[in-house]
Amino acid sequence: MLLTPNAMGRRLRFGLYATTGLIALFLLLPIVFIVLLSFGSSQWLVFPPPGWTLKWYGQFFSNAEWMDAALASLKVAVLTTFCAVALGLPTAFALVRGRFPGREMLYGLFTLPMIVPLVIIAVAVYALFLKLGWTGTLFSFVVSHVIVALPFTIISIINSLKLFDQSIEDAAVICGASRLQAVFKVTFPAIRPGMIAGALFAFLVSWDEVVLSVMMASPNLQTLPVKMWTTLRQDLTPVIAVASTLLIGLSVLVMVIAAALRRRNEVSA
Amino acid sequence: MSAVIKDTAQARTLVSLRNLNKHYGDFAAVDNISLDIQDGEFLTFLGSSGSGKSTTLSMLAGFETPSSGEILVGGQSLVNVPPHKRDIGMVFQRYSLFPHLSVRDNIAFPLAIRKRSAAERDKQVDAMLKLVQLEKFAHRRPAQLSGGQQQRVAIARALVYEPRILLMDEPLGALDKKLREDLQDELRQLHRRLGITIVYVTHDQEEAMRLSQRIAIFSHGRIVGLGTGFDLYQNPPNAFVASFLGNSNFLRVQAHGNGAASFEGQPVAMRLTSGVGDGQEVLLMVRPEKALALSREQAVRGALPAGWNEVTAKVGEVLFLGESQTCSVVTAGGTQMTVKALSAAGMSMKPGDEVKVRWAVADACVYTEWQESDLSKAAGAH
Amino acid sequence: MKVAINALQSATGASGTGAQGAAMSLSPTLRQRWRGSRNLLPALLFLGLFFFAPLVGLLLRGVLEPVPGLGNYEQLFANSAYARVLFNTFSVAGLVTLISVLLGFPLAWAITLVPRGWGRWLLNIVLLSMWTSLLARTYSWLVLLQASGVINKALMAVGIIDAPLEMVHNLTGVVIGMSYIMIPFIVLPLQATMQAIDPMVLQAGSICGASPWTNFFKVFLPLCRSGLFSGALMVFVMSLGYYVTPALLGGAQNMMLPEFIVQQVQSFLNWGLASAAAALLIVITLVLFYFYLKLQPESPVGNAR
Repeated sequence: MLLTPNAMGRRLRFGLYATTGLIALFLLLPIVFIVLLSFGSSQWLVFPPPGWTLKWYGQFFSNAEWMDAALASLKVAVLTTFCAVALGLPTAFALVRGRFPGREMLYGLFTLPMIVPLVIIAVAVYALFLKLGWTGTLFSFVVSHVIVALPFTIISIINSLKLFDQSIEDAAVICGASRLQAVFKVTFPAIRPGMIAGALFAFLVSWDEVVLSVMMASPNLQTLPVKMWTTLRQDLTPVIAVASTLLIGLSVLVMVIAAALRRRNEVSA
Repeated sequence: MSAVIKDTAQARTLVSLRNLNKHYGDFAAVDNISLDIQDGEFLTFLGSSGSGKSTTLSMLAGFETPSSGEILVGGQSLVNVPPHKRDIGMVFQRYSLFPHLSVRDNIAFPLAIRKRSAAERDKQVDAMLKLVQLEKFAHRRPAQLSGGQQQRVAIARALVYEPRILLMDEPLGALDKKLREDLQDELRQLHRRLGITIVYVTHDQEEAMRLSQRIAIFSHGRIVGLGTGFDLYQNPPNAFVASFLGNSNFLRVQAHGNGAASFEGQPVAMRLTSGVGDGQEVLLMVRPEKALALSREQAVRGALPAGWNEVTAKVGEVLFLGESQTCSVVTAGGTQMTVKALSAAGMSMKPGDEVKVRWAVADACVYTEWQESDLSKAAGAH
Repeated sequence: MKVAINALQSATGASGTGAQGAAMSLSPTLRQRWRGSRNLLPALLFLGLFFFAPLVGLLLRGVLEPVPGLGNYEQLFANSAYARVLFNTFSVAGLVTLISVLLGFPLAWAITLVPRGWGRWLLNIVLLSMWTSLLARTYSWLVLLQASGVINKALMAVGIIDAPLEMVHNLTGVVIGMSYIMIPFIVLPLQATMQAIDPMVLQAGSICGASPWTNFFKVFLPLCRSGLFSGALMVFVMSLGYYVTPALLGGAQNMMLPEFIVQQVQSFLNWGLASAAAALLIVITLVLFYFYLKLQPESPVGNAR
């Protein structure tokens, strides 16, 4: 009935499809709009633009501040990804395989940074680093990003580790592998989708992180979102549209990679 | 056979399907079905999956719209009536109870929709709970019930508003064998008591035989056999029904005039059948339990009675099945046959023995038209 | 090979039950009790140092600065300007939740209805919007909603309004931008719930006599309830703590709690008050999150068990 399109009744179905189409347009509107604006020639973001140009892209790529920010973003995101996976992997193993009391509670503890409002984490970590004099360092960026990226990697790895039948690892051991060899040669390849998903999440979280970064930033070290943030508060120059478009492009790329990985898993499964 | 037709013709027709079709693109899920369902009868649609039986039921319920054709109930067309206005009861394969409602509220749901008064509602729900023996479980959620209990709730929900027609789509398929047989008996008694018209869909022929007054056998979107279980089994209208229902031995014979034929060179007699030409190949069907296998000595001792046929074959295998025994044999021409007998009667042959297989001429059905695929057991599905 | 695996499994199985038996009869040694927990240490240490310690430190400042006591909390509730901040926070979060539920419901429904083909595209659009940079989307709304923006121009061209509406740097802008951002967080859990509903149950409703309208309210909606509640609660919690969108699309007069906290820290260096506000926000968040967790297991969509 209401879940089988053919039996739904034409009027209801048409109404639902039309509503959905409008909402989908609403979802797409700002994304498409910003990409178009980045190619528009109007300094004042007039739409539709009087002409098309690549000059904002030129400005973006020739501006040292924007380029430094992009590079810093990349550096922070890559480091964050590594640290989050390195910390998340043993944690996920312990939470899935361990047989100790309070695992549920510990799981909740590790996902807490996802629940506590970012602003509060930012302020708390900022206070600590202010006291230690570490604000504005690469270290402070990476540490603060790892805090919020960690739950994502832990959850992704746990999800794929739960699906992995541990007796396969035992089989490798009976074939003569040491436990560590078995984990590296059998278990890790099997849970690779979860590890990659966790890494992608960590990368995106760090890449897009604003609140923590704004707190950690100093004039000589800022990530792309920080640069966008500070620029935005002054004016709405189309160069921000360029930065936005590049960020959107990266998100699409990561989504495509994730989808491709998922498809490959479905085929091999 | 003719007596049965006369009987049903006297009853009142409640539902008529007229040239009903359902196409999905080029595929005909239901192919030009015409059928009259009598008021108060228990009719079963029997067929393998994909034979069109469930699609036909869905069209009756209103979940599928026919591509063409008519569905009449009491002479009025139902085709453009939405399901909720058809006043038909239905029991689904996986029960499909409302998981958010208690047993009581599930059964009361149709009455609440119909805005019956609370007092009347309570009275009817109580009666239904009693009928399906679930009074003690009235306040449970469906998830807290066993499969059999859930099915009883589903039946109660379908009956509580006293629909004229009850549709049942493989309602017992998910239950284990013992429970299924118990519920089959309950269902039969329920039908007798309420006198409601039931259209039942199943792929289980034993279930169909146990429950129904008439069976419609579906294959490739058509009804290929319609009648009582007894008639369909004893006198299958065609080779497909013969092989679909129970087990069967098929013998290809060469007709010589009417009533006489030869099987692998040996003369055999057959029923008088209209439309059999001289020299035409026809098919004889003998049920395994209607055939006898005799060792050479037994055959010598008991001469062939009049009106019986006899062919020579070699024993391949003898199987003991508890209540009965089967003996598979091969004739000189390579025709496989199976003979079945009650264990009490005893079967003394061993593999490799030569036996005489006998059957009464009257017990062998004669088919002049058939397709090779009809003869294999798995042919019903697509 | 297969035999070897089976042998190993039964061997470990046997030893496993043996160990369990021993653990039950004797009191377990500490090592047995905490088997496999050593791997937790790196992450625990990290979070302890950089998450829990600063958090506790921050919360302590609320009762220690500028003078020990509950003065900051008194101030927070007594001052009408601060009360206004709380009111803004809750009303915006409530409104955002309502709007994103209203817009997310049809989306989730359509995706469930047509899981292949363009339903798949709808899901992709939802995911794209979720994973697209928050700043990029907020910037886009800023440009779209401004007085000389496309939306105002379009509305004026059609003749609905004569003068541009003020849709940015006030709560209207915040609500629009945040509802937009929260839609995916409604769609995904709701869609999962809808997908788990047996479509036959709705057919059953209809054959029992329910019109599509009745079926929707009496069967479909109750069955969606768990997904709807958990999605809405999640969105409400997230909205309470959101900073970026309100800071960019909102105005200076009508602040929300997260902006207030940052402002106290960055502009006024009033850590005590900021900490009190943060404690309030954390408590609300955790309480609501507790309800969210309570909602999870009791899913009425447990038909096919």
